[in-house]
Amino acid sequence: MPAALALRVAGASFAYAQTPALTGIDFDLHAGEAVALIGPNGSGKSTLLKGILGLIHRTAGTVEVLGHATAPAGTVGYVPQTDELDPEFPVSLEQVVMMGRYRALGWLRLPGKKDRQAVAAALDTVGLSNLAKTRFGELSGGQQQRGLLARAVAAGPRLLLLDEPFNGLDQSNRDALVGTVERLKADGVAVLVSTHDLELARAVCERVLLLNGSQVAFGARESVLTLENVQRTFHEVGVEMDQHTLVIPGHEGH
Amino acid sequence: MAEFFGPLVSAFALPFMARALVVLLALSLVAGIVGVLVNLRSLEFISDGLTHSVFPGIAIGFVWGGREGLFVGAMVAAILAAIVLTLITRRAVSGDAAIAIVFTAMFSIGILVVSRQTNYAGQLEQLLFGRLLTVTTAEVAQTLTICAIALLLVGLTLKQQVFRAFDRTALAAAGYRPLLLDLVLNIAIALVVVAASSAVGNLLVLAVLIVPGAVARLITVRLWLLFPLAAVFAALCAWVGLAVGYEASVTAGIDLPSGATVVLVLVAGYLLVLVGRLAVDRMRRPASAVPAAGAQPETVAT
Repeated sequence: MPAALALRVAGASFAYAQTPALTGIDFDLHAGEAVALIGPNGSGKSTLLKGILGLIHRTAGTVEVLGHATAPAGTVGYVPQTDELDPEFPVSLEQVVMMGRYRALGWLRLPGKKDRQAVAAALDTVGLSNLAKTRFGELSGGQQQRGLLARAVAAGPRLLLLDEPFNGLDQSNRDALVGTVERLKADGVAVLVSTHDLELARAVCERVLLLNGSQVAFGARESVLTLENVQRTFHEVGVEMDQHTLVIPGHEGH
Repeated sequence: MAEFFGPLVSAFALPFMARALVVLLALSLVAGIVGVLVNLRSLEFISDGLTHSVFPGIAIGFVWGGREGLFVGAMVAAILAAIVLTLITRRAVSGDAAIAIVFTAMFSIGILVVSRQTNYAGQLEQLLFGRLLTVTTAEVAQTLTICAIALLLVGLTLKQQVFRAFDRTALAAAGYRPLLLDLVLNIAIALVVVAASSAVGNLLVLAVLIVPGAVARLITVRLWLLFPLAAVFAALCAWVGLAVGYEASVTAGIDLPSGATVVLVLVAGYLLVLVGRLAVDRMRRPASAVPAAGAQPETVAT
């Protein structure tokens, strides 16, 4: 029996004000599965993630999250790029992760024992328990990414959207993130991850969506990640690819 | 000691001084908490815009119903301004330019309205610089009510407001509506402006709103300590400022406007804390300039 459908995007286009940003997107994502969004800078990866969240105007098509036109509250976790956040913000890692519990807490209730346990468990999942009291802005980029993933984990989402989580990470942080994503998938969480990192796509994603302003290809990883498709996606910068590596000039990841 | 601390207490045995203190303490509590959110969201310019936009409401209310009409006019203008402001910052291509245009226009309307009155200069001065020492019991009650509403709005949404300040997109992904939270905070800011206008005046409101939050940020990086610190700092400055103004008038014959005195004490307090912070940073620098191998980042107790 196939896993439950977590996300279906059909014929969707998105725009900033009157300017089209992304057109003709068709794909689906099931519980326990991961899909990689791959494309050059400005190809619309972040736009698609924000469009799924309903933060960017959809000009055509449909987006269904867990069978609903609007994502049910608390079911979607989002991990942004850390450079979108203020590094001087006076908040500890533990407090950031606790934000993931706010939806369950509601407007009035203060965090209780159950919430603190959920935060501790989420920090343990990403391997940052020892840094719980550290100010978020003082963590390394990789630790911040893992902290934001812990926040999403603490909320108990059924669909997780990750925006370039592996940019600039060292090997230990990459391994920790990959391990966490694998555990979430095993727990039935559907994961949509934007990345430049072909290695990551091969490690954790069953299917791949290639983007460059519109959908170039979507399907099983091995059938989509052909040199021809990848060159069509990155046609302005040029790429080289072998069985394991995609080299994209100007991109840190490969 | 009694000579030093005596004036800090004795002045408030007088009813008009006690009323002024009650108004400022209520304002300190609310402005401290709202001010921290203003600081975390970097809303200082928007807050400035709100003080300008509330002015025509104050002016129209004053012209229409005298001192009794002031609060009604200010409240109507505050709510309208908060809604307009929320929509402008969401939709305008250049938010800052739009805010500046709309709110300076609003301020000009206020001045035009007041200028139609016969005692133009005197009334304008009252509205711009406040009249803390002539606040009536009814006005104290109005101020307390407005402060309570602002406190309720912020208190009920405080966790989510902090989440919004830190990461708007993740907040939206969690199913919250950032626009609603923005509206709530802008209304709370506008209410503080209304409550403070009759006390310290429309031009000085911004200091009450901005300085305590900025001071708290200089003192601590502990999130939930920012709010009580800002409120206590504002309350202390209000108390000292009122007492200083009273003493200067009684003992030295110098007539200091009480609103301006309180604001100057706030700013002096900020400078004092800033100097202290710079000194502490300088003392720490030699040790932290070359971190030891494997050193852990600074921890923040919660």
